[in-house]
Formats: sequence, structure tokens, C-alpha cells
Amino acid sequence: MVEVTALTDEVQEKVAKYLDRARREDGDINALIELNPGAEQAAKEVEKKIDSGKGGRLAGYVVAVKSNINVMGLRATCASKTLENYVSPYDATVIQRIKKEDGIILGMTNMDEFACGSSGETSYFGETQNPRAKGRIPGGSSSGSAVAVAAGFCDVALGSDTGGSIRNPASHCGVVGFKPSYGRVSRYGLIDLAMSLEQIGPFANNVRDAALLLEVIAGHDPKEGTTIKDQFQGYTDNLSADLDGWKIGFAREFEEFTEPAIVRVIKRGLDRLSSNGAEVVEIALPNLDKALPTYYLTVFVEFFSATRKYDGRRYGYKIEDVCGREVLRRIMLGRYISQKEYSGRYYKKALQFRSLIKRELLHALEAVDVIAGPTVPKLPHMLGEKIEDPLVMYGYDVLTVPTNLAGIPAGVVNVGRIKGVPVGMQIQGRPLDEQKVLNAMHALEKD
Amino acid sequence: MKVIIGFEIHEQLATKTKLYCDSPTNYREVEPNTNVCEVCTGMPGAKPYPMNQDAIDAAIEIALMLNCEIVRDPIYIQRKHYDYPDLPSGYQRTSLPIGIKGELNGVGIWEVHLEEDPGKYDPLSGKVDYNRSGVPLVEIVTAPDMHSPEEARSFLRELTKVLHYTGKVRPEGGTMRMDTNISLEGGARVEIKNINSVKGAYRALKFEIARQKNLRKRGIIVKRETRAFLETQMITRSMRTKETAEDYRYIPDPDIPPLLITEEKIKQIKSLMPEAPHLKLSRFMEQYGLSRDDAWAITSEIDMADAFEEVAKLYGKPGPAASFFRHIVKKVLGYNDLSFRESGLSGKAIAELLSLRDSGKITDAGAEQVVRTLVKQPGDVRRIIEKKRLIRIDEDHVLEKAVKEVLEENPGAVKDYKSGKAEAMNFIIGKVMAKTRGRADPKVVRKLLIKELG
Repeated sequence: MVEVTALTDEVQEKVAKYLDRARREDGDINALIELNPGAEQAAKEVEKKIDSGKGGRLAGYVVAVKSNINVMGLRATCASKTLENYVSPYDATVIQRIKKEDGIILGMTNMDEFACGSSGETSYFGETQNPRAKGRIPGGSSSGSAVAVAAGFCDVALGSDTGGSIRNPASHCGVVGFKPSYGRVSRYGLIDLAMSLEQIGPFANNVRDAALLLEVIAGHDPKEGTTIKDQFQGYTDNLSADLDGWKIGFAREFEEFTEPAIVRVIKRGLDRLSSNGAEVVEIALPNLDKALPTYYLTVFVEFFSATRKYDGRRYGYKIEDVCGREVLRRIMLGRYISQKEYSGRYYKKALQFRSLIKRELLHALEAVDVIAGPTVPKLPHMLGEKIEDPLVMYGYDVLTVPTNLAGIPAGVVNVGRIKGVPVGMQIQGRPLDEQKVLNAMHALEKD
Repeated sequence: MKVIIGFEIHEQLATKTKLYCDSPTNYREVEPNTNVCEVCTGMPGAKPYPMNQDAIDAAIEIALMLNCEIVRDPIYIQRKHYDYPDLPSGYQRTSLPIGIKGELNGVGIWEVHLEEDPGKYDPLSGKVDYNRSGVPLVEIVTAPDMHSPEEARSFLRELTKVLHYTGKVRPEGGTMRMDTNISLEGGARVEIKNINSVKGAYRALKFEIARQKNLRKRGIIVKRETRAFLETQMITRSMRTKETAEDYRYIPDPDIPPLLITEEKIKQIKSLMPEAPHLKLSRFMEQYGLSRDDAWAITSEIDMADAFEEVAKLYGKPGPAASFFRHIVKKVLGYNDLSFRESGLSGKAIAELLSLRDSGKITDAGAEQVVRTLVKQPGDVRRIIEKKRLIRIDEDHVLEKAVKEVLEENPGAVKDYKSGKAEAMNFIIGKVMAKTRGRADPKVVRKLLIKELG
């Protein structure tokens, strides 16, 4: 575990310690693609601000950033050969906000190529190790960000979550991860996988730090048309583990999809929620089985569209010529099903099922405050144990994709281990009600 | 043989910034790739800003001016995918219809929608200039209601007039681009792309009709295909046939929430928008008793029509005013290749000028000279008359002297007149007018000449 926390060390010292640790240990772990050469200079300036009493809300926090988020001057490679030489000419909105609050960027993290994967194995820069479950995959696609937090290379990290890409590795690596409501955080500067589904969100060692990073990056962005204008209160100020009078939903369908050992760990988590005052009630999500095909059809079509700019004219390579198999598979399928003659049969149908799944989740959330359940239905496989069948691989996502289809917030916090492998519980909440999700997560970790 | 013609017309909107970012649109005046940002160059991760409200308002106004119904359901922005160097993201953002079921001069308007201009690719150098990328365009799709190149041309001219009436398109012109669909009765529909002017459209249609007729004469069936117009050679050339038609894989753009147009917005735009030119024309005929030709000439430009109404109010005699606009003002503008707006002429100045002419202070020729001076350098009408010494000559002895001199200088014309050639009189009057720099009243001069020549 990491004993370094923000504001206890001198900032410069802490940054130096993180950089040193990353340099020594990351050769084996492979969580980072690039360190920020300006990190030490930034630490110096932030420390000056802290000394003069002008430090921002993230003063002293060291942040690792997923390689699909633009940080000016650093490479946003998406862990693909396609963009191996792409140096960001601008800051994503979330990066602007982090810098404004004096967060210090450690560097860019490894990930599944173009966020296409749930294992952390598809990166052009090689797979990432899971420091909390040696020899196993860390999960993905935000593998490097989850691992950077778990390995103690930084205080917090940014990931992106299109169908579980924050929550899945958070669960496998035993850290806190949070996917905000669609529209809560600006995607300006996030390189696309599927635009209608994804959000940027935080990884942290504890819920309070995740809440802090979230409140810094959240909020309307005049440059991003899908962000919501709704005002939100400070997530850290309102953080509370008191769940008196809450109703927590657990869907019976969760058990059908999930390994029994995981269900047992999750049920112990539910008991903890009860001991904090909540009543656990059974809910039904009968269309849960439709979420995966709906999700993947949507991803294929949107990803195909998003990758048309990598045509070899501007970024050196044409994506289809240099990408890995999973990226190519998604592009080819997207090209196929978005054809005029098939769009009605596949893509339009997916949009209809998406509304159905959204309605079902929102309806369930009318009766309960949050829904609690497993994050991933199975334990992470061993590195090197190649999973060739994409459908088996996609099976990792069955419990996380409905959240994105519905656009609701969800977070993951560790609730136990099975033979040393971390298991995270997923809390899903009503649209824009990040606070309740965070509070339930807080109650779980408080115990 | 019946000919059927329809158009898809693109015109740039005169907004200050681009459709999905804050980069300026004045790309003609600046170096290549300087009016750009990460959005309009499609950098990885950049997202479209919310749609430019001025562009939305302009499209609504144009749709209303073309008598369209405004769509009240959510209007999705779609991605139209195709691979070309001028498209930085590999797709163009194009809205579903904003206006539908319109009509202009008997030609149906199927739809009006918004889209973004791509960059400009130069195949010779292989370079792309993204300054134009993201500039808002309005696209107008007509029904195939035109039946000859002439009809098509007069429709396009009327449409140009309507667009300029709104003041929402580039005033300098030359930004209209269009594709046309043409078929001869019983034949397949051929699309012609790459037409950049009204004149170009007329020529492309003329050529295409001749081409299709020739094919038929030789017993060849006209295929459904897309052809390109080559302006320099004035011909069309095949681009692709139906079998190789592109599939644009349209999807609603997930980065842009659909557009919702409210009743209040429509009301607000209606209350501010100008009267359509054809309505103005009928009103001018009715309200001011103008001939169709006079009304047509004056309503050719909205600024001129507005100035005319001001003159009619200040000066009070719409008939003579209209005639002055049509014969003098338009002539001077044409001579100087200026629009009324560019000329700096005002209704107030013209009204004053006409009053001075009526009171006998200056002649018609003098009035024209004032207009010529005003379009070069705006100024006070009375001062110009004084400075240029344009006051009408009323003193008989001055005129008599000029008449005598002209008769002495032109004995041939005098001889012609006396031998019965009446038209020689006009020549002599012209000489007297020239000598007096237009300050003489030609009627008085004629009287004096008749007296002198017997």
C-alpha cells in the first residue's frame, strides 16, 4: 500500500519520490508510456503557491493521465502505433482544470489500444502487470492509470470509461474508480472510442480523493456541447457514510452472470451497506442480457466514424495498416454494419435497445437510492493466457456496459479478495446524482 | 423533348466565426492555415463547440424567406463519411432539414439545411488549406421543377437575390456552389457537380442537354451517373456511375445534441426578416403605381429598394423617382460596376437631387453628373452642384451665344438639317449640351435652334 498522501510531504520531494519509484519499478510493471519532463518544475511552482497560501484545490496532488487525453506537449498515443508520434498541441478541458487547481501531471499511462479492450493486453507498448494480483491482467482499458495508483506512482489518475474501462481495472487492481454521468465531465480533448457512451473519470486510493478530482474536472464546458449545465455541490464537502433510510437495489440477474465466489464477496459488501443503515432490496433487470450486443454494435459504428481521421495523411500511419487485431476488428465491423443496407438491421436496432435498457435502469432507480452489485463477472485471467475468442473477452463487460448505455454514474470500491485477487463492488446511481454513489462507496470503505 | 432540372445549392453564411469553433471565417484575407484551431482541423480529441447560433438563425431566416415550413422536431446533425484530403475528420457534419416544403417563383424547395465547408485541397501541390474548413454553409435542395437552362438561370438569379436580401450570405458573392440533376424525358437522371456560378450552371445544362440528345440520336441509353463540370472547357465529364455510388454511412453525430427550434425563435426571426423580393415587387407596383420593369429594376437590390422608399416618402413622386432610379442610378452603378450598397448613395441625397431638378435648379444631365460624383465620393448635393458649377443656364444670351458657336463650328450638320435630315437636329442639340456641360435645358435649346435655323 502507498503511504504517501497529498500535503504531508513537501511537494517537490514527493514528486521526486514518485518519479524515482516510477523509473525504478515501471520497467516491470509497464503502467506508464511517458513521464512528464516538466513535473519537477511544476512541483516547484506549486510549492511556491502553497507557501504563499495560494495553492489550488489539487495543490500537491500528482496525477497520471491515460494516453487518450490530450496534455499539451506530451504524447497522446492511445497506446497505438497510429499515434506513436502525436504530441498534443492543446490541453483537454479536464487537464486545464487540473492545472488551474495546481495538480501536477506525472505522465501518460498505458492502456488498451484506443481503449479497445478490457484486459490491458492490447497496447502497442506491451501489456501492463497487475501489482495487486501478480501474474494477472490489470483489466482495462484504463490499465495503466489504475496500476499507476495501485503501484504508488501517483496520488490519483485519470481514466476514461466507455463500457467499464475505469471500473473494470479499478476492481481488478483494488483501487477506487468512478465513471461520472454522461455530460457531467467534458470530453473535450478525450480521443474517441464511442462518443455517446464515454466519460473521463478519476482513480484514487480512497473515495475522498476520487471525489476531489471529480469535483475539479466536473461541470459544464462551453466548448463541449454534450456537457450539462446543472450546478453541483462539492462532492467532498457532502461526503458521508451515513446511509440511514436508504434503499439499495441488488438485481437477481447479477447472480446469473457472475462467478459464485465473486457473488459471495459482493454479498458481504451488501451487509456492510446494511450495517450503515441501508435496506437492501431485490430489483429486476430482465434486459441485462441485451446490454452487451447493444453496447458493442454502438461502439463499432462510432469507433469506425471516429477513426476516419487516421487516414495516413496527417499522423503518419493509416490506422488499418498499423493497428492491432482488436482495433481492426472493431473498425471492420463498424464499417460493415454502418453501411446503408445494414444500418437499419444493426445500428438503428441498437439505438432502440439502448433506450429500452436505459428505461429499465432508470425505472429501477426510482425505487432505490443506488444499485449495488459486482463489477466484473469473473476474476482477471493470467497474463499470457491468450483469450482468442472476442466474445469471451467481451464477457468481462456485461455488468459495466449498462451504466454507459443509460448514461448514469457508477463507482467501484474494493470489498474483498479471492485468493489475493481484489474484487470491487459497483455502485450505480441516478443520472447526475454522483453524490449518492460516492457516499455509498464511502460507507463501504469506511468499514 | 421535356427536360427536368433540379438543384442542390450551397452558399456560405456570413458569420464571424465558424460553425463548430471560434476560428474566424475571413479566410480569403489571410495566409493559408492561420484561421484554424484543433476543432476545425479535426485534431484527435477535439470536439465541436455547440453550433454557432448566428448560423442557425441565418438558416432559419433563409428557409422562411423561401416559404419553408420550419421543422419543429429535434433536428439531428449527421456525419457524412467520405475520404478526401480536404476533410480533416473523414466526415462532414450536415444537419437534417431545418426548413421543408418551400417554394420560390414556382420552383419547389424540398429542404434547407446547414453544413460545414471542408478545407481546400490543391491537387497540384498536394497541400490543404483548412482556413475554409468549418465555415457554415446553407444547402438548398430544389424540386426538379425547371424545364430549360433559361428557367434554371432565372430561378438561380432570383434565389441569389433572396439570399442577398437576408444579408446573411457573403455580400461579395462568388461563394455559391451547386450540383444539378438533369434528365430528359424517359431518360436516367444525371447529376453534375462542381458548378460555381449561375453562368456556369447555364452552360453546364446547355452542354449536358446537347450531350444527352446526341446519345439518344445515336440510339445510346443515357446512364444514371455523376458527372463533373469542367468550367474552363465548358463540358461535363463522367465521375462515377450508379454501380459505384458512394455510401456515406450517415450516423447522427454523438458529439452534438439535436437542434430544437422554438416557436418564439421563429416568431422573432419573422419579425426582423426583410420582405421577400417578389413580394416587394408586387407591393411597389401596387403601392407606388410602378410598372413591372421599374419595380423589377429597383427591387434587384434591397438597399436600392429601401432607398427608393425613402425617396418616395421625402420627394413624394414615386413615378418620376422610379424612372430616375432605373435609368440614371442603375446606369451610373453599372458603369462603375458597383452595387447600390457599395456606392454609398442614400435615399436622402437622391430625394434632394430630384427636388432641385424639379425646381429647375439643375437639368437631368446635371442630376446624372451629381450621381456620378456621389458614387466616387460621397458629399453634400448642393455643394457638389455649386462646386461643379452645374446650375442650369437660364440666361437667354448665354444660351444664344452657345447655339451660335455650335452652328458655326458644325456647318455640315446645319447643311444636313436644312436639306431635310431631321436627325441632324439631335446631333446639334447634343453639341450645345456638351458645350454647356449639361447645364442647358434641351427643350429650350431646341426652341432656340428652330428659331435660328428657320
